[in-house]
Amino acid sequence: MSTAPALLEIKGLEVQFETRRGLARAVNQIDLTLYAGERFGLVGESGSGKTTAMLGLLRLIEEPGRIAGGEVLLDGVDLLKLSEEEMRQVRLARIAMVPQGAMNSLNPVVRIGDQMRLTILEHEPELGVDEANQRIEELLQMVGLKTSVARLYPHELSGGMKQRTCIAIAISLGPQLILADEPTSALDVIVQRQIMQTLRSLQERMNATVLLVGHDMGLMAQFVERIGIMYGGKLVEVGSVEDIFSNPRHPYTQLLISSIPSFQTRGKFGGIPGVGLSLLNPPDGCLFNPRCPSAMDACRSRVPPLIEVGSGHSAACLLYEEEGTHASTA
Amino acid sequence: MLSAGLAVMALILLFAFAGPIFVDTNMAEPLSATPRQAPSAEHPFGTDDSGRDLLAVMVVGVPLTLRIGFIAGAVGLGVGIFLGFLSGYVGGKVDAVIRGTVDTLLTVPGLVVLISIASTIREEISVNLMAMVVASLAWMWPTRTIRSQVLTLRERAYVHMAKLNGMNTMEIIWKELFPNLLPYLAANLAGAVSWAVLAAIGLEALGLGPQNEPTVGMTIYWSITFSALIRGMWWWWALPIVFLALLFVSLIMIAAGLDELANPKQRKAV
Repeated sequence: MSTAPALLEIKGLEVQFETRRGLARAVNQIDLTLYAGERFGLVGESGSGKTTAMLGLLRLIEEPGRIAGGEVLLDGVDLLKLSEEEMRQVRLARIAMVPQGAMNSLNPVVRIGDQMRLTILEHEPELGVDEANQRIEELLQMVGLKTSVARLYPHELSGGMKQRTCIAIAISLGPQLILADEPTSALDVIVQRQIMQTLRSLQERMNATVLLVGHDMGLMAQFVERIGIMYGGKLVEVGSVEDIFSNPRHPYTQLLISSIPSFQTRGKFGGIPGVGLSLLNPPDGCLFNPRCPSAMDACRSRVPPLIEVGSGHSAACLLYEEEGTHASTA
Repeated sequence: MLSAGLAVMALILLFAFAGPIFVDTNMAEPLSATPRQAPSAEHPFGTDDSGRDLLAVMVVGVPLTLRIGFIAGAVGLGVGIFLGFLSGYVGGKVDAVIRGTVDTLLTVPGLVVLISIASTIREEISVNLMAMVVASLAWMWPTRTIRSQVLTLRERAYVHMAKLNGMNTMEIIWKELFPNLLPYLAANLAGAVSWAVLAAIGLEALGLGPQNEPTVGMTIYWSITFSALIRGMWWWWALPIVFLALLFVSLIMIAAGLDELANPKQRKAV
């Protein structure tokens, strides 16, 4: 993956929400590079900023939130500096999104084919209706649907078919980056597997990059190649799937991995002590220090940077700053 | 439902627009027939105190009343759609101003405002002027209800999805929101037209209508003025009431029928 060119470089992305009770830093200085053709998973608990980060890439943060700083380079072009109209052209054509709740993501009173044609012609008006219809038939076949689906209304489709339709819309303009926000959270496991297989084969065929957001660790393990762990709006660990699952370095990741139920330790659930973080009133230093079993004095005063802990594996934890003085707790 | 409503409406329109072919509209002028005659073969709907043939009066009056209703209803709904979408979709200060204005105006009894407007107009009231007077109050309720519909629609996942897919604001309003509101707007139009007809009739019955035009409301006014009820001249007041009842029934059925047509969930599987 390191041989592939970088597609998306996020540098110091910061999204803030100006609330009545204070400033919430929902995405807090994130640095992340996605390579062409890779599948990357972004994991974190609810409110950790993963969906907000995704919307930040598309510049669709709504009031009272705003992108407070950073750069989002897509093929070297900073998306945050584009005009609103240029950004609108980027959406779907270059960065597409597969939504979380496919159930409500289609307009209930417009036929599937008409909805697809509308979005395609919005970006490529020169295409014409006939060619657009032809592409719609191809797209529906690519996601494993019959072409007759184009004439149906959303309520005539099952949940899986709706999600396939959403994928068909997402790939309709051949995007370089596909954002998938828990695309299967509302589906049963059988359909979930089919959808993920469809998404994967399309991604490989188009050589697109997929950024999968979610908290289903099992799904992540099967689907992605690299994982980023988010906590409190910060990226705390990034590494390959193997590294994250078999050799997690950040204490939060360690606890997260050990809390996945497994057959070997039936009946015992490891959890993470303490409660989720309040973004309005974050602790000083490392955001995880109040819940961290290996917290040191320094953790309460210094914010740990993301540092290299192995090949293509980095973690934001002070334990690894002076490698050797503190043994890993793994 | 829709076809029944449209059939009644077609009947009314046929009566209004094909009527002049068969009925001499000059008979709607005073002193063109023997006054105070009960329905007979010669005058199927009878004649009034001033010697107007009531069939001819209705043939002339029904289109006038329909015109007031449709102009006022359409203007009211048009303004309501514009302000409702603006208020609901843009939000913020724009919304606060529009909502505040509408809510304040809605607390004022409409008929009182209409009476004051109509009675301050010095010149002779024409049918079109009458329509505009009624339209001046017909936009507030549509604005308010459309705004609330837009507020819920714009938070739907497919509207967010349209933004994520790079649709522009006008496209989202026209292609995503509008189709969802169509049955609602159609029902609103039927409602606005019946409200406008009712408001116009109310003003006319008080004598604030076009004195020289035999609209349906003015016919009711003359029948009240000349005590048709006490004098047993039932044909004088019954006819306009039957027409109004038919008009309202057809408008309601059209509204309900349009809802069926525009809502794919209510449509039978093809």
